[in-house]
Amino acid sequence: MNHVYPNRELHLKRIQVAIAKMPSLSTTVVKVLETCNDPRASANQLKQVISLDPVLTGRVLKLINSAYFALGQPITSLTRAIIMLGVNTVKNLALSFAILKNMKGSGTFHAFSTDQFWLHCLGVGVVAKSLAAVKGLLPAEQEAYFVAGLLHDLGKLPLNNQFPDEYFQVCQSAGKKRDPFQHAEDRLLGIDHCKVGAMIARRWRLGVALVETMSHHHQPDDATETSRDLVSTISLANQIAIELNIGTAGDFTSDHAMLDLLTDKVGVDYSKLSDFRESISREIEKAKIFLEIVQK
Amino acid sequence: MMIKFWGVRGSIPSPGPNTVKYGGNTLCLELRLQDPDRLIIIDAGSGIRELGDSLSFNGGAKDHLNTEIFLTHTHLDHILGLPFFAPIHDPETRLKIYGPVTCEEDPLEEVLGGQLSYRYFPVRQHELGARIEYIDLKEGKYDLGQGVTLITKYLNHPLLALGYRLEYGDKTVCTAYDTEPFYNVFCTDPCDPSYDEVLASEGDWAARDENRRMEEFFKDADLLIHDGQYTQAEYDSGKRGWGHSPIEHVLAAAGRANAKRLAICHHDPLRTDSQLDELSHLFCNPGIAGDKVIFFAREGQEVEI
Repeated sequence: MNHVYPNRELHLKRIQVAIAKMPSLSTTVVKVLETCNDPRASANQLKQVISLDPVLTGRVLKLINSAYFALGQPITSLTRAIIMLGVNTVKNLALSFAILKNMKGSGTFHAFSTDQFWLHCLGVGVVAKSLAAVKGLLPAEQEAYFVAGLLHDLGKLPLNNQFPDEYFQVCQSAGKKRDPFQHAEDRLLGIDHCKVGAMIARRWRLGVALVETMSHHHQPDDATETSRDLVSTISLANQIAIELNIGTAGDFTSDHAMLDLLTDKVGVDYSKLSDFRESISREIEKAKIFLEIVQK
Repeated sequence: MMIKFWGVRGSIPSPGPNTVKYGGNTLCLELRLQDPDRLIIIDAGSGIRELGDSLSFNGGAKDHLNTEIFLTHTHLDHILGLPFFAPIHDPETRLKIYGPVTCEEDPLEEVLGGQLSYRYFPVRQHELGARIEYIDLKEGKYDLGQGVTLITKYLNHPLLALGYRLEYGDKTVCTAYDTEPFYNVFCTDPCDPSYDEVLASEGDWAARDENRRMEEFFKDADLLIHDGQYTQAEYDSGKRGWGHSPIEHVLAAAGRANAKRLAICHHDPLRTDSQLDELSHLFCNPGIAGDKVIFFAREGQEVEI
């Protein structure tokens, strides 16, 4: 079936509105509300709950990077952001986004469930952090890799929210035809999640590295040299998460050729990946227990 | 540059027999530049009412035709005087009101408009006589014209609050209130189940770095006007996280930053004149303060730099 996507400008306008009103995910919202409404909740708990939500993580980094525009390097560390903004400010910020209602949880997610999307984002973050550790990066740098992995697919949220039927078709088409996901998005919507992700990262002033991650995680070679290692690692983490079936963001098909290419490029021995498969599962189970998803 | 303190109290206006000497009005500072004549106001606590009256009373038409107000933040004690600032009702007045955005990034005009709605005040924001321009500030460096440079720095307070560093000629005045020292908010006790070694050490580093940036911000100021609501003992007894500084910390930070004069302000509403005299005796004595001029700011006090 051939689709002619409607006016692209109109699409962009709807996407911009959706970006401005992106709430936290329904998967994490209960825990966010519980933590942020609890005056006794510790900074550690606050950091934990925010780092499990890609939208909230992005929002906190947006605030720190737009308010503190004089800082030379964009801040991509939640730890630093919480120290600078203070626990109460971050709690209030999180609450203000947790109560937004424009995304009605899994009801509007025809293409994939919110819980599965959340799991995929978290999975890519955790794998990226593990890869950074294997590469011998310092713990603070590992957090930047985690954040980049957590946020890499944020561009899918406004698309799925604004065009749920079309996005369902994108997923179907990509699955059936083994059509690259981005091509299906572009064909059916006139824009893909990488471009929308880059729009979000630019609008939220998340810095070049995150703009490039969100923009090029399917084509890491297009990233500039400065960001290429990060983008390639996130790209590899994404392929591993798909391969290991850690949630889904609509794209079910892992690309083995790309997986091989990226393990070489990132400099990780593929056989070693199985060593930390267990630690990744442990991290994700811990997050599920924290969010009480297990009991759902 | 002349600085006059029209309000030095923190949190809430505190009139009464115990606050006669240091004053009970909440924060408002008047900065006068002499050449060219220019009035800059910092904060619109209850002290701004008397400042406004003095401008009207003295027939200072020139003053209230074109004035700038810099709000450090929008907590009530720093804005509650604004509706009672007489020139704001004068159609001849031109005001520029600067201040930080909130964490929800609502514009300053909207935030201030909250207290100028009918339920709180009979004159609504759009009915004010003065022509007002609202300007959202972030952390950065701004050219205010006529040789005045403004540098802003986010402080550590439970709301985005800005410190202002105003440089004019070779003189610098710097405000750092409401604020407390940055500290590691994450668990540092290895025995605590939530302890995370990486988080604890990164938190330590980030707090240290922010405190270094803060001292850099007020480095070599001719006058540093700093929050000193608590003593260290009070701060350590449950006031950490409230966004106000212990005096002992302020003295040490101002010393390291080589601030030439230090005015301690944002006095606790419960602090009596005699207590402030005692603290003054304890901390501002030349034997302790050395060659630095340190004082607890008093309402009505003027300082020339």
